[in-house]
Amino acid sequence: MLTIKDLHARVEEKTIIKGLNLEIKPGEVHAIMGPNGAGKSTLGYVLSGRDGYEVEQGEVTFNGANLLDMEVEERAQAGLFLAFQYPVEIPGVSNMEFMKESVNAMRKARGEDELSSAEFLKMAKEACKQVNLPLDFLKRGVNEGFSGGEKKRNEIMQLIMLKPKLAILDESDSGLDVDALQVVANGVNSQRDGERSFIVVTHYQRLLDFIEPDYVHILAQGKIVKSGGPELAKEVEASGYAWLGQADEGEKA
Amino acid sequence: MSQWLAHVIERAAAVDDWLSPVRAEALAKLKEQSWPGRRTEAWRYTSLHAVEDLSLPTESNAEAEAPAIKGLDAIDLVFVDGRLTSDLAALNLPEGLTIRSLTDKSDIAEQVFTQVKPSHHLFGLVNDVLATQGIVIDVAPNATIERPIRVVNFATDNVESHTRVLVSLGENAKATVIEHGSGTGHSLNTAFAEYDIADNARLEHYRFALHQGEAIHVGGSHFKLANKSRLNSTLIGYGSQLTRLDVDIIHAGEHAHAKFNNAYLLAPKEHFDLHSTIEHAMPNGTTEENARGIIGDKAKAVFNGRIHIHRDAQKTLAELNNRNLLLSRGAQINTKPELEIYADDVQCAHGATVAEIDEEALYYLLTRGIDKQKALVMLNFGFVQEMVFDMPNEALAEWLQPILKQRFEDMMERS
Repeated sequence: MLTIKDLHARVEEKTIIKGLNLEIKPGEVHAIMGPNGAGKSTLGYVLSGRDGYEVEQGEVTFNGANLLDMEVEERAQAGLFLAFQYPVEIPGVSNMEFMKESVNAMRKARGEDELSSAEFLKMAKEACKQVNLPLDFLKRGVNEGFSGGEKKRNEIMQLIMLKPKLAILDESDSGLDVDALQVVANGVNSQRDGERSFIVVTHYQRLLDFIEPDYVHILAQGKIVKSGGPELAKEVEASGYAWLGQADEGEKA
Repeated sequence: MSQWLAHVIERAAAVDDWLSPVRAEALAKLKEQSWPGRRTEAWRYTSLHAVEDLSLPTESNAEAEAPAIKGLDAIDLVFVDGRLTSDLAALNLPEGLTIRSLTDKSDIAEQVFTQVKPSHHLFGLVNDVLATQGIVIDVAPNATIERPIRVVNFATDNVESHTRVLVSLGENAKATVIEHGSGTGHSLNTAFAEYDIADNARLEHYRFALHQGEAIHVGGSHFKLANKSRLNSTLIGYGSQLTRLDVDIIHAGEHAHAKFNNAYLLAPKEHFDLHSTIEHAMPNGTTEENARGIIGDKAKAVFNGRIHIHRDAQKTLAELNNRNLLLSRGAQINTKPELEIYADDVQCAHGATVAEIDEEALYYLLTRGIDKQKALVMLNFGFVQEMVFDMPNEALAEWLQPILKQRFEDMMERS
């Protein structure tokens, strides 16, 4: 599904990712843990193709295609989804028109017919219900005035509706209470079908109690320093990141 | 001198009704006015060439019905080419609401007519002397009128018309008034409205100036706010051959709050001019004004936003921002902030920009697979649509959203 080889990437003048390797097969869930400043969010931005995040060396193959050659929207259309840690507010664009445009863009890319308004609405209502968001939220501006938890649930709702091949969840647990965490996790788990792959980026082990990973990787100073099974997350929970020998700095980006 | 104005003055002499003494004062002021040219500050960027020697019939037999808006259960009052066609006696009005014709003498009309609108507006004076047809809306103290009151104002083809709306909200009263104007033919319509809002009263107001094509529309909405009153106003305008609107919001009492959102969408070659003036005459008032414009090819928009904080208006909080989006190199915006502050303890912000795309928002849309071109359209239209989403009346917002979207898409295609 996704192969990352010796990836180096920088933001402005600062190199953040320094030789990262990762192989993800269909249906796998990989957790990436690490202290603040390790480059966790940067990885998501680099893979999604955000402006200003420059790849210095290495290669990334996504379902056989060179991901780094693709535009942001092409990567999305090819099935890459990024759930943001801090989703942006777009007051003048309604969730409804935004999601309809997005769902149909994906369908078009997959060679499927666009949904009619009625079909879309039915699907959106179901997804709303699944992540416990009120229906009137569809009429509101994208993320406008949403609480932190509502924004996170909106990201998961999009995941459910867009049906990507690979979803990167960037700290989808941050700022959530246990109930909200459960809603997010249930939403994600409902999309695990043995084909769809996930990268779950998190600082804490907590989320992984709800979304059980196949593999856990520790990211520190721009590379993966340790990989293992779910038990590795428990170790981190018990001992923190101090053993990495670096300060837990505030994360850039 | 304009032949048209000379003719207005002639016609004014023939108007004879119970308001004649007040009209005579307006006529005297009108006679002192010179025809605006490029050196007239209030008309610097708007040429009146199309009106200067205009000669149109002043009557028509046209008929029209108020356009239905899904989900809006309004009390409709209809003007067609300046004629009030609604049968006021047949209206089934809720308690606390009285609606009269301007032709009927009433204390309320006398209290409001020319008393809110500043007398320096040239076309306002024209309307003062010629608008014999009008609506007088009187909301009794403590009354809450749930159904919106909609004044529909059609201008058809080959006709000149003048209409007036007078509104009085008593203490603690609450009402919604919609001024819904439209016209596509070669016409001139002046439409002025005055709102006298008493202590603690709340007005929700909309003005839709949806004139297109050859229509010439000049008008104004003017508000006087007493102590602790609240105004929430939204103005949506097209350009047409010439659309010029003046809005005055006068804080005549303390602790009043005004919110004024406006958006204008100009199709190619249209002209739209909005002059807004916020007068803070008393302390502790707040005003928030958001003005957004999208301007098509060879169209010209003028926005003049004045905030005047008088010496006694301490603790005023006033904010005005104007953002414009030009769809082509041939599109033009003349935006001018005017701040006059004579009190020292106030907070006042004023900004005017030509809009830029929010890169973070664009990136977000792209990560959801939306093509760049489409994403830009969504974001560009979004910043005007924000004003629609902000309208408290949901039925109006849902009616307007697709209409404006369609207009925007047509503009994009032609720009």
